[in-house]
Amino acid sequence: MREVVVVGAGLAGVRAGESLRAQGFAGRLTVVSDERELPYDRPPLTKQLLSGTMTEADVRLAGAEDLGARWVRGTAAVGLDRERRRVRLADGAELPYDGVVLAPGAKARAWSGAVPRAGVLTVRGLDDVRRLRAEVDGGAREVVIVGAGFVGVELASSLSGLGVRVTLVEPFGRPLRALGGTVSGVVAEAAGRAGVVLRLGTGVRGFRDDGGRVVAVELVDGSVLPTPLVVVAIGMVPATDWLAESGLALPSGRIHCDERLFARSGGGSGAPDPRVVVAGDAACCDAVRAADGPVALEHWSNAAAQGELAARNLLAGPAAAEPYDHVPSFWTTAFGLRIKSVGLPGTGDRTVAEAGDPAGGAVLEAHYRDGRLVGAVSVEQGRLLSAYARRLRGERMIASGTEPSGT
Amino acid sequence: MKITVDHGLCDGLGQCALVAPEVFALDDEERLVVAPEAARGSAGKVAAAARACPVRAISVEGS
Repeated sequence: MREVVVVGAGLAGVRAGESLRAQGFAGRLTVVSDERELPYDRPPLTKQLLSGTMTEADVRLAGAEDLGARWVRGTAAVGLDRERRRVRLADGAELPYDGVVLAPGAKARAWSGAVPRAGVLTVRGLDDVRRLRAEVDGGAREVVIVGAGFVGVELASSLSGLGVRVTLVEPFGRPLRALGGTVSGVVAEAAGRAGVVLRLGTGVRGFRDDGGRVVAVELVDGSVLPTPLVVVAIGMVPATDWLAESGLALPSGRIHCDERLFARSGGGSGAPDPRVVVAGDAACCDAVRAADGPVALEHWSNAAAQGELAARNLLAGPAAAEPYDHVPSFWTTAFGLRIKSVGLPGTGDRTVAEAGDPAGGAVLEAHYRDGRLVGAVSVEQGRLLSAYARRLRGERMIASGTEPSGT
Repeated sequence: MKITVDHGLCDGLGQCALVAPEVFALDDEERLVVAPEAARGSAGKVAAAARACPVRAISVEGS
């Protein structure tokens, strides 16, 4: 293999590049990104960077400059021609490849209706955080955050820490609901203590503006929240539009890959392409499954591990490639709480609080499906999680027919 | 093998403890504790634990 193109310069793409070089790949490596930025790490953006405890220099991904790569920045990939083995770029250039790593990541999901021209933001990249911080520094003392998932809750925590009055609107009733009821409750309580106003169980009907600038949010229950600033945090959309003609399988817009991270063809055959591997937020991997099928992961640890293995498998070829064997894990901090998870919480049918004291802001909640452990979430009980990770590994080996070896 | 943890960088995120629990663990305060003597013979896992650290607080020399 002499030419490898990596599409995406986030964590998954950079880790793929590092892994290629670590495996001794000495050929030409090209990394394509639609952003002009140097590669950066995403978890600190909504927390330390927004809060001001880290600088932009602190969030750069170390090591990216040592890849010996040709960087194509600020130019989007617009097509993948697998027959001719070319990545097409927005400026008309074509990059030939022997192998390609697809790590395009995701974009913030936009509000589906009309929004005022100014004062309504989404947050996904470094530039978004700069814009949000500029609004706060420019005098915005109030914000309405729409959506209480990870990004919404992290922003609520950071912005309230900056002295901004935060209202958090969540139509589905609970913050971080994917993590289970007890954890959700602990987070809601901590948010309330920090002065965040929670509007749970009601959605947004629309926005009011004055001369193009947002002035209020209208809720479905009829109430009106005056505000100079809104952040819409309603999830992410995989950045895969450009692959529509590639012939790859794109269920729900994600790139479907087999257990070894080779992209599957669409149109029913599902045959993996030995020259195309996938990593990160845009991937939907057969090796990450709940009871009813593959689950997409949008976590740091998944992007890192998939980037590394995808590159290794691309060089090794399908016959020698290793399956993706990773216990999902996630962490965040919000309102002073350290929240961590292993496995796939939220895919179970029963949760059990197994340690801690929820009233005191600490809990370990295990998630079960048909009596088997599928995940665990910790608030301030992080020392317990590795034991749950070990149990999850054991469950998976039993499920796949191999007995745990105990090592 | 010499394992060094930069406790100024370490945030107690615990990703290393998921990868190599025999070497890395969190205490009750979610601070990292390391058992370097347990790393003998598991250089691969320790290296993977270092790569799993989001803040690159772990460095490993030798094997």
